[in-house]
Amino acid sequence: MAAGGTGGNSGKTYSFKVVLLGEGCVGKTSLVLRYCENKFNDKHITTLQASFLTKKLNITGKRVNLAIWDTAGQERFHALGPIYYRDSNGAILVYDVTDEDSFQKVKNWVKELRKMLGNEICLCIVGNKIDLDKDRHVSVEEAESYAESVGAKHYHTSAKLNKGIEELFLDLCKRMMEMAQAEERLKGNGASQSASSRRGVQIVDDEPQATPAGGCCSSG
Amino acid sequence: MATADSSVKPLQIAMKMAKVAIQLDGGNKHKEAYCEYLRTINYISHALLEEAGTQKEREMVVAVEEERMLRLAEQCLERAKSFIGKSMAPTDVSVSASFACSPGQSETHQTAVPPVTTAANTVPSSRTAVGEGHKTTSPAKSSHRRVLSDGGGELSPFLPPEIFQKLQTIKSQDTNKRELTPIEQASRLNQKLKANYEARLARLTPGQACQKTSLTLSLQRQMMENLIIAKARQDALQRKMEERRLRLQEEANRRFAASGTVTAEEQEQRTLYTNVLEYEQDNDWPKQWKAKIKENPDNVTVVLHLVSYLLSQSDHPVVKLLKKHQYRIYNRLYPLVSKGLPQSHALPLRASCSTHNLLHLETQRKPSKTVSSCDQSFSTDSSLSHDLHTNYDYVDVEEPHMEVTVDLENSFEDLEQFLTQLDWAPPDGSTDNTGSDSEKTCDPLILDESHIQGLELRALKEHLKAIVKDIHIAVEQLLSLCLLSFESLNTASSKDLCLASIEEAFFMPLWSALVALFRKVNWEREQAFEESMKLYKDVSPGDVGVPLKLFPQNPGMQGSFPYDYAVQELKLLFKHSCPQRKLECIAVATVNHICVCAEEYRCLHEAESTPRTAAIGADDLLPILSFVALRCQCPQLVSECAALEEFIHEGYLIGEEGYCLTSMQSALAYVESLHTGETRLPGDTLR
Repeated sequence: MAAGGTGGNSGKTYSFKVVLLGEGCVGKTSLVLRYCENKFNDKHITTLQASFLTKKLNITGKRVNLAIWDTAGQERFHALGPIYYRDSNGAILVYDVTDEDSFQKVKNWVKELRKMLGNEICLCIVGNKIDLDKDRHVSVEEAESYAESVGAKHYHTSAKLNKGIEELFLDLCKRMMEMAQAEERLKGNGASQSASSRRGVQIVDDEPQATPAGGCCSSG
Repeated sequence: MATADSSVKPLQIAMKMAKVAIQLDGGNKHKEAYCEYLRTINYISHALLEEAGTQKEREMVVAVEEERMLRLAEQCLERAKSFIGKSMAPTDVSVSASFACSPGQSETHQTAVPPVTTAANTVPSSRTAVGEGHKTTSPAKSSHRRVLSDGGGELSPFLPPEIFQKLQTIKSQDTNKRELTPIEQASRLNQKLKANYEARLARLTPGQACQKTSLTLSLQRQMMENLIIAKARQDALQRKMEERRLRLQEEANRRFAASGTVTAEEQEQRTLYTNVLEYEQDNDWPKQWKAKIKENPDNVTVVLHLVSYLLSQSDHPVVKLLKKHQYRIYNRLYPLVSKGLPQSHALPLRASCSTHNLLHLETQRKPSKTVSSCDQSFSTDSSLSHDLHTNYDYVDVEEPHMEVTVDLENSFEDLEQFLTQLDWAPPDGSTDNTGSDSEKTCDPLILDESHIQGLELRALKEHLKAIVKDIHIAVEQLLSLCLLSFESLNTASSKDLCLASIEEAFFMPLWSALVALFRKVNWEREQAFEESMKLYKDVSPGDVGVPLKLFPQNPGMQGSFPYDYAVQELKLLFKHSCPQRKLECIAVATVNHICVCAEEYRCLHEAESTPRTAAIGADDLLPILSFVALRCQCPQLVSECAALEEFIHEGYLIGEEGYCLTSMQSALAYVESLHTGETRLPGDTLR
């Protein structure tokens, strides 16, 4: 299906899907809320925007449409993760620096994502609530070395103090763009289009990709 | 009666009397009509008696006239009798219809009773129903309607493809005012002439035999002439059309910059485009609309109007293509879904021998819940569907049967026998089927039922996949033809509108059959959902993990349960038959309602809380959605969502609609898992 929500008339518009993962009370939702507040100070935030947020950005002259998908942190919804993160370009894995358990959950997510999506997804591991540093239970070194070992980037944020959030999203966007561009080059070199057809990247001035939506990942 | 004013003949008087009787009859004045009929009979018998006494010469003519008088009397008697039998007896439609259509009626100033005026040998002699003429056209016309609306759909809620196609054309006929070809015009003219001739013939007095001959001859000559002229005109027109078509074809070829080899697909597109050009030569409206669009480019209202107008023009190539695709898809769906849920299925290996048997079974087997009201957009007269039901087995050209026979050469006989046994041991369902793509290696004798069902399910899934792909291709083709026809629609926003309209038209008659197939494939999931639904129909939001602050603790507060509005919105989903609309139901209406409700409830709890923090994240949204899904009490929701996932556009998949659908899907999956006990209710183990 070629049509859909993509606007744009000339040049490239990247569409990225970013999924937000993490245990129940690590502050995923606050993180997103902070992010939209920063960007849309004057705008009223609709209620759904805490779960699902789209943003139009302009990064180094390129238009980027960012769709941020929040997921439920409760264990009982864990099995349904795959339908959320399929076709994602990036994932933000949030843990609470005061909660060792939540970091363990992040590790599980990383394993699953790498297994299901391989290296086609940009991973960000985010230690939230650094305002509570005195209660920290996950050491900076441990977290950063782990992130490096799995090819992810590590960030520290505080939704309460509004720290590190802007940087996190901007950085992620840049990385996703790099990845998309690398993919394009690959495509330009004669590699088949189908290699990336499953991904959410849409390049508007390109031929629309003919793959029907959602066909390959879902089974029944 | 303009011809005979001097000496009024007894026949004419008798006919006048009969006419009065008929009028009374038609006006439901039964008693008066009855008397008038009797009076007519009385008069006829009197006149005939008199004539028999006096006249001996001119025997021939008199005999004819006498015969007519007697027949008239007979008819009157018949009518009179019918009043006695049952005072309000409905008249025999088939007989009276022949009267109603008598073409000479208007010419004779309605003085003569039709059956008598038309030549004597055409009148049925047995029973007549004089005077019902003006009523008789209605039953014939309305019979279609009756077929479509009446039946309870006991055998299958789906129309056989043949009827589906008829329905397509019936719908379109309303707008279809085609010009007649010259031949058709001529034949109409000839019919009129003939009617005229018959009328005049009837008015001739018995003595004017030679005039009759000359009338006959002149009629024949005129009719012949008309036909010859028409034929010549038609030929000329046809030549012209062919020339024009060639010219347009070239134009189409030019449009698609002829590049060496042409694929079959491209060729098809060219042909379609030629049709469009041809249509535009014959019709003016496309030009007008094109101008209108040019004036207001990308105006949503204009674009929507244009597309809906286009879709209402049943002879436009786009609409023709649409119907063709719809019919094709329906033809594939029908054999898969017409056999009830869930065990029975698609590929009838044993063609028709057991059809009746099966049909019978099916009515018993079908769980009542499957016939939800929204499935009933098509229902059919049961006898009709029964008649046609047997056909599809032959229509369905699937090769698996062949494969099986080839690959199982040595065990084929066993298989055959096995199948026969199955055929004759029906009560548990899955009678006539084995898996279509069945394993080549398997010994037919160890095919147990669950195995067969597994194979069936797999075959169904394959079918579903193929059909979904087909639909995508069909819609794509329709869109591209539409954009070819109206180039100015080829902008991002207009294209989306166009696609939405096309989809709406495309899916409308298909959705119920389509979702029936999805339901078969997702049967197990629906079962699970139903189990959970029954087990937890009275849960409170807190039981499925909705935080306490997000619902009122006092249940009777609004006279209903919390998130009632969201549930109502979700239920509206079944009313639509277009994926886009359904998606809006979930995304826009239901989820937004949830958010609004949640905010309200929270405000009730903590009056001091600032609205800024009211937004709910996925941690809260999913439990609420699960609760809403449980309260919706519709297992079909599972299949609807599965279907939506296939037909949602890529652009929407990543957007809000996609997010809401995904959330709904995962809420459904959670509900399904509830009854197994593996997933426990979170209860008070909340954060």
